[in-house]
Amino acid sequence: MIKLEGVTKIYSTESVGLRDINLHIKAGEFVSIVGQSGTGKTTLVRLLIAEEKPTKGKIVIGDWDITKIPAGEIPYLRRQIGVIFQDFKLLPKKTVYENVSFALEVAGEKSTHIEKIVPQVLDIVGLGNKMNRYPRQLSGGEQQRVAIARSLVHRPKIIIADEPTGNLDSLNTVEIIEILKKINEFGTTILLATHNREIVNELRRRVITLRGGEIVSDEITGKYRL
Amino acid sequence: MRSIYRVTKYAFQDLGRNFGLSSMTVFILILMLLSVNILWSVDILTQQATSIVKEQINISLYFKAEATDDNLTEIKKYLSILPEITEMTLVNRQEVLESFKIRHQMSKEVLSALEELNENPFGPTLIIKTREPEDYKKVLQAVDVPEYDALIETKSFEGNEEGIEKLQNITNRIERVGFGLAALFAIISFLIIFNTVRVAIYTQRIEISIKRLVGASTWFIRGPYIVEAFVFALLSVAITFGLIYLGLRFLDPYLSIVFSNGFTLTNYYNSHIIWLVGIQFVSVLLLTFVSSGLAMRKQLKV
Repeated sequence: MIKLEGVTKIYSTESVGLRDINLHIKAGEFVSIVGQSGTGKTTLVRLLIAEEKPTKGKIVIGDWDITKIPAGEIPYLRRQIGVIFQDFKLLPKKTVYENVSFALEVAGEKSTHIEKIVPQVLDIVGLGNKMNRYPRQLSGGEQQRVAIARSLVHRPKIIIADEPTGNLDSLNTVEIIEILKKINEFGTTILLATHNREIVNELRRRVITLRGGEIVSDEITGKYRL
Repeated sequence: MRSIYRVTKYAFQDLGRNFGLSSMTVFILILMLLSVNILWSVDILTQQATSIVKEQINISLYFKAEATDDNLTEIKKYLSILPEITEMTLVNRQEVLESFKIRHQMSKEVLSALEELNENPFGPTLIIKTREPEDYKKVLQAVDVPEYDALIETKSFEGNEEGIEKLQNITNRIERVGFGLAALFAIISFLIIFNTVRVAIYTQRIEISIKRLVGASTWFIRGPYIVEAFVFALLSVAITFGLIYLGLRFLDPYLSIVFSNGFTLTNYYNSHIIWLVGIQFVSVLLLTFVSSGLAMRKQLKV
């Protein structure tokens, strides 16, 4: 599903994001990428959604080599991957419904399909009754659930979550992780970048540990070991 | 078709939900368009005023009383080949006499002296108008030949040359200053509109990068701004011209007093409306397109 071969990202001589990363994530896996701040978790996420290009190496998603992806094809790649960010990245001038439907509209989905699917997805994340609210009218946990609904709505095979619970309290953190686990149960590959020890230990899934931009451990049923 | 509909929908949603910013953008566009139009109108009025002043200038050839109709016809025919001459009016001896009497009707001494002469002492007069004041020199040179010297008593232009030249210099200078001011204002307007649109886009930079991250194509992100630019241009030009016509209703009565030839700015705007609206609409549209395009470049790289 996701393959990284000798991926290195160098910003400058003093700042190396990732160093010679070799990684293979299979379809349906739930993988936690852990490490302290500045170890390369976010760089890895940015490379996977083509927000940045690697200095060296090759990244393949499905059958798609995205290492030298042309700018015009980046939107098509992003429509195949659901991404959840720490700061939610919701459109503040759009309602909950519009934020979720936007992901389908940019992909050219029919309006009838959008009108049917968006309320269903919002029901899954428990926001069916708050469709017409704006992000500012929601709590942090609710905003993150909107972001999950948006990442989920076009049924991606992969969801990448970059510190999705970083801005949430413990109750909301548990809820978000439960939603991600549910999504994974339906066969979606989940890549979770986090430095939350409790989450990782509770999940008991594959854990890849980064330190100084390098993989220091990769365990099938791992724990947070930093 | 579906994406055009969605892009248009987003544009109107953005306009409504960013009402304050949209209104401010339109307001600044209106201010700039009003400034350009005011300066444009001042330039038109200056041109009108100078052309009226130029029209007042003419050259009069006063013939001797002995000049015959054949002599006059010959001179008129000779002068008519000069392309600089726009109009020639011949005033016959009788008309000159009548005009003299009217001018001096209050002066009994002058009229009684005229009575005593017992005949019309005046010769006919040829009034000549040229395209530009400086063309009079050519006309004077043309009639300054020995065979006409015997027929022409005097030429009214002689002695006024210095004044005409000064007037010509002043009108030329006014035209140059008007053009310079219009150019300066156009540049200032360009910079203000450019920065207004850039600020409007800058406030939405996070939204643009989010749209990019959820897979929106460049067209899907730029599209609403293109539609918004169209709406901004349409609204600002329409409101500006509405205000201009409102202002002209108050201004035109005063102008009709100054310009006795019937010139009014309303007539000018009416006769040039398509060109004026077209050029301003296209300029604002292009300017907002280019400004928003440049402002968005950075965000679209995400």
